[in-house]
Amino acid sequence: MDFVLSEEQEMFRAMFRDFSAKEIAPKAEEMDHEEKLPLDLFRKAANQGFLGATLPENYYGAELDYLSYALLVETLAGDCMSIAVTLATHVSLVAMSILEHGTNGQKEAWLPPMAAGETIGAFALTEPDAGSDATHSDAPHPSGTVLQTRATADGDEVLLDGVKTWVANGEIAGLFLVFAQGPEGGESFLVPADSSGLTVGYREPTLGLRSITFNTLHLEGCRVPVANRLSGPGEGRMVVQRAQDRMAVALAAAGLGVAEASIDIAAQFASERVQFGVPVAKKQAIQEYVAEAFTEVEALRYLVYHAAWLADQGGDLSVDASVVKAFSARVARSVTNRMVQVMGGYGYMEDYPMARKYRDARALGIIGGPTELHHVRVAQRVFADLDVEIAP
Amino acid sequence: MRIIVLIGRVLDPSGIVVKGKAGRIFINREEYLLQPADRCALEAALRIKDATGAEVVALPRGPLPDDDVLCQALATGADRAIYLAGDGFEAVDDAAAVRVLAAAVEGLGGADLLLTGATTLDTGQGQLGLRLAEALGWPQVVGASHVEVGDGQVRAVCQSSPPLVEGEQSSPPPVGGGGGGIGYVTVEADLPAVVTLLPGALKPRYPDGTRLINVYRGVGEVAEGLERWDVADLVDAEALKPLLERRGREFPPERERGARVSGTPEEMAQEVARALRQRVRR
Amino acid sequence: MDFTFSPEHVALRRMIREFAENEVVPIAAELDREHKVPLEIMRKLGEIGLLGVCFPQAYGGMGAGEAGYCILMEELGRVCTSTATNVGAHIGIGAMAIHLDGNEEQKRKYLVPLARGEKVAAFGLTEADAGSDAANIRTRGVREGDSWILDGGKVFITNGGYADVITVMAVTDPALGARGGITAFIVETDWEGFSVAREEDKMGIRGTSTAELVFEELRVPHENVLGKVGEGFVTFMKSLDMGRLTLGAACLGGAQAALEWSVRWAKTRKQFGAELAQKQSVQWKIADMATEVEALRSLVYRVAWMVDTDQPFSRLAAMVKMYGSEVASRAIDTALQIHGGLGFTRDFPIDRAFRDARIAEIFEGTNEIQRIVIASNIFREHGVRIRP
Repeated sequence: MDFVLSEEQEMFRAMFRDFSAKEIAPKAEEMDHEEKLPLDLFRKAANQGFLGATLPENYYGAELDYLSYALLVETLAGDCMSIAVTLATHVSLVAMSILEHGTNGQKEAWLPPMAAGETIGAFALTEPDAGSDATHSDAPHPSGTVLQTRATADGDEVLLDGVKTWVANGEIAGLFLVFAQGPEGGESFLVPADSSGLTVGYREPTLGLRSITFNTLHLEGCRVPVANRLSGPGEGRMVVQRAQDRMAVALAAAGLGVAEASIDIAAQFASERVQFGVPVAKKQAIQEYVAEAFTEVEALRYLVYHAAWLADQGGDLSVDASVVKAFSARVARSVTNRMVQVMGGYGYMEDYPMARKYRDARALGIIGGPTELHHVRVAQRVFADLDVEIAP
Repeated sequence: MRIIVLIGRVLDPSGIVVKGKAGRIFINREEYLLQPADRCALEAALRIKDATGAEVVALPRGPLPDDDVLCQALATGADRAIYLAGDGFEAVDDAAAVRVLAAAVEGLGGADLLLTGATTLDTGQGQLGLRLAEALGWPQVVGASHVEVGDGQVRAVCQSSPPLVEGEQSSPPPVGGGGGGIGYVTVEADLPAVVTLLPGALKPRYPDGTRLINVYRGVGEVAEGLERWDVADLVDAEALKPLLERRGREFPPERERGARVSGTPEEMAQEVARALRQRVRR
Repeated sequence: MDFTFSPEHVALRRMIREFAENEVVPIAAELDREHKVPLEIMRKLGEIGLLGVCFPQAYGGMGAGEAGYCILMEELGRVCTSTATNVGAHIGIGAMAIHLDGNEEQKRKYLVPLARGEKVAAFGLTEADAGSDAANIRTRGVREGDSWILDGGKVFITNGGYADVITVMAVTDPALGARGGITAFIVETDWEGFSVAREEDKMGIRGTSTAELVFEELRVPHENVLGKVGEGFVTFMKSLDMGRLTLGAACLGGAQAALEWSVRWAKTRKQFGAELAQKQSVQWKIADMATEVEALRSLVYRVAWMVDTDQPFSRLAAMVKMYGSEVASRAIDTALQIHGGLGFTRDFPIDRAFRDARIAEIFEGTNEIQRIVIASNIFREHGVRIRP
C-alpha cells in the first residue's frame, strides 16, 4: 500500500489551492450573502479544466483521475462548499453519467460544452412524494416509491410530465438529467433547459449552501427527442446508483475540505485570542477539541482518498461510497460545531467565516442521501454474507 | 352599573380524538378551556367596565368541579365571581340551571346587563342565555358581535340572515367584530337585558399577570372577589330536578359519498335539481 | 417531595402558552427574516405584567418567583428564541441586577418601570478583550465631584440597541482588579456620551439587538452606583448566576419544540410505504430526545425551587445552562435530520431554530466557563482552588 499522493497529484493540489485562494476565498462571504454564484467564476473554473475535470481529453476534459478530482472538490470546499457541490453535481452526477451510459452522439453533443462550462448540468430525480425512497425502478419495488414523473412516447419524441424537487443547479443549468417512469419501467433523459414544457420554478431558500440554486422543476408536456434518452427500462437503477455513488465520494471530499478549513481558521483564532492573560490555545479544553477534530479529519481523509482510488479502479463503489459519505457528514458536522465553540461569539457572527461553514457542513447529513439510508446499505452488506436480507 | 357574565368550561378539542367507526372517543389530553363565546362575553363586559367603571360579576353556566374558570375571569378583570355548589346541583340540565341562576341574579340584587356566549363549543347549544332572559323577564339579543351601553339601553350589532328586509342595514362589522353574515342589524333594548355574543366576535384580552398569581394563590383584593354560594340558599330541591333524561349515546351515521356535477352553471343547476328530486322520491 | 406545579403556575403557563401561540408565533419568521426586534411583543408582555414576572409586587412585578420566570422563558423559548432572548436580557440580567443590589430609591426609580415593561433593560459587561475573562474589562469610571465619568465601550450587548436602562460595569480602581476595582452603574441610554456604534450580523437570534456601545465622557450621577463602589464584580456574578437558570429554561422550551415537531413529522411523513415513526432509527432519536427533555425539565424546575427557597444554587445554575444549551442543540440537530430537506429550507421553522439554538452554548458564559464554575465549585468543597 502506498499512502503518498503521486507527484502529479501533489502538483494538481497545489494548483487547486492557488486557484481557490485567489478566486474563491475572497468572494465566499459575498456569494453566501447574495445567494449567488458569479458566472465569471464558472468561466475561470472552466479555463482551468475543472468543469470537465474527469472527462477524457477528446471531449475537452482535463482527464483527471478521481482522486485528483476529489482533491479539487476538497480544496474548493475549504473555501466555499457551495462551489464545490455545484461542481460535483455537474461532473459526478451529470457529465460522468453521460460519459458512462451515453451514446457517442450524446457524448459528442453534451460533453464538450459541459467541459467548457457553457452548459451546466443538473440532476432531477427527487419528487414531492419520493425522497429517500425515490427508486428509479424497472418494476415497482416493494420497498420503494416509483416515480410519478411519466414518460410517454409520441412518434420520435418523448413527452415528460411531472414535478421534480430540490434540483441542485436548477437556475443555472443548461441541461437536466431527468428520471421518469416509462410504460415499461424507469427511463432517463437529457433535457435541454430551453425545451418546451420545462419550467424552472420555486427556489428553496436554504440554511446553508446558499449560493447553490435548489429548484422545483415543472415538466408539462415537455418534449425531448427520443435520441435524448440516456437509459431505458432495465438500466435505470444502475444509472442512478452509479451517479449517486460517485457523488457520495465527491460530497465526502467536500466534507473533508470544510472540516479541515474549519480547524485552520479556529486554530488561528485560538492562537491570537488572549483571555486570562494567555492565548486560548493554551487551554487544555481547546486543545482537546482541536485534537479530536484533527483526528476525525485525518481518519476521514484517508477514507475519502481510498474511496476515490477505488473509483479509479473501476469496480463497484457501493458500500464504500455509503461508508465515506456517512462518515464525512458526521465529521463535518462534529468538527465545524466544535470549531464554532473554539471561536466563541466570533463563531456566531456572519462577518467571520465559521458561521457559514457551520451552516454549509450541516447539509451533508441530508443531501446525497441521508445518513440513515447509507447506514442501511452498510448493514445490508454486513448481513448479506450471513444470509440476512435487509430492506430500508 | 352591574354586568353579569355567564361562563362555562369545555374540554379542549385538540386533546380529543373521535373514532366514529369504532364508536369511541379518546381523551388523550384532558384540559379545559373557558368557553370561547363566553370569553367574548367577558371581554365585552370588561370593555364596558373600562369605559364606565361598571362592576363585572362572573356566574357559572352550571355545576363546575372547581373554580378554575371563575379564577380566570377574576384574573382577566372581573370584580367578583360566584362559585355555585350544593347537593343535587351536579345533575342539573339547562332548565334547572336557569332556576338557580335566576335566583342567583336576584341574590346579587339584580343587574343591568347579562352577557354570555351565543353557543357552546361542545354541544353547540345556545339556549341558556335565552331561557334565563325568559325567566328574568328581560329582553334578549342573540348573536351579537358588538355591545355598547348608554342612556339606559344596550345597543348590539348582530348578524341578520338573508334576505335583507326593510330597516336592516348592510354595514361591515365593527373593528374586531366577528360575524360574516350577509347583513348586520343594530338592535336596541332597554336595560336590564340579556345579550349573547358570537364566538370570535371580539379578541379577548389576556389575564393580568399579577391578578392571576394572586387569585390562584388566594391572596389580595382580587382573591376576595371569589365567593362560594350554596344552591340550597337559592332554590329548593324540587327546582334542581332536570327536565332531560340522558338515555344513551350514538354516533352520527357515516356520510354517504356525494356525486360530482360538471358543465356550465346552467347545466350543473339542472343536474343538481334532478338529483335532489330523485332523492326526495327515494 | 411534591413535583406538581402550584395552581398559580399552572394558570400562568396556560396564559403564556396562549400568548406565545397567538402573538409570537405569527411574527417569529418575520423577526428572523427582517432582522427586527419584537417591540410590539415586548409592549404587550409589559401590559400584562410578564416583564416583571419574578420581581416583587411591591416594585411593580408579578411576584411569581423564579419558577414563574422559568415558565415564561420556557414557553417563549418554545416558539421564538429571539423573543425569549430579548425578554431574558431585560428581566434576567438587566433589571435583575437592580433587583439584587439596588437601594430603595433605585428600585422605585428603575425597577418599577422595568417590571411594568414601561422601560427596557440591558446588561453591559462584555468587551472586545473581556469575553470569558470578564474581569479583564477596560471601561473606566472616574469620580468627579458627585458624578462618575465613564469612558470605554461594550460589545455583544443584547437589547443594547434599544434599551432605556443599562447596568454597566466599569473599572473604578485599576490597581485592585476584580476584587474591589470594579463598580456597577445604572446608565440611562439617552444621556450625553452614550451611543450605539453598530449591530452585529448574527447567524441566529436575528430578532435581537446585539450591539456595540460607546461611552465618551458619559456622566453618571453618584446615586446611580449600584451596590457599593468597588463591589461591581459581585453584582455581576450574582446577576449572571440568575440569568443562567432562565437561559436553561428557554433552552428547555426550544428542545420541547424540537420534540413536538419531530413527533408530528414522524407520524405524518411516509417513506418506503410506512410512517417514519415505524423506523427504529427515528424511534431511537425521539426516545433519546424526549428523555433529555425530561431530565432537563426536572433540573430547571428543581433549581428554580432552590432559588425561590433561598438555597445556594450557583453550581446547579451553571449545570442548567450548560446541559440545557447542549440538550437544545442536540434536539434541534436531530429534528433537522428527521425532517430531511424540510429541515434545511428557510420556509420551515427548523432552520431558524437550528441557527438560534447554537448561541446558547456560547453567550451568558460559554459552556467552557460553566464547566470551570462547576468544577471549581466541586473542588472548593474538597479544599482545592481551581485556577482558570
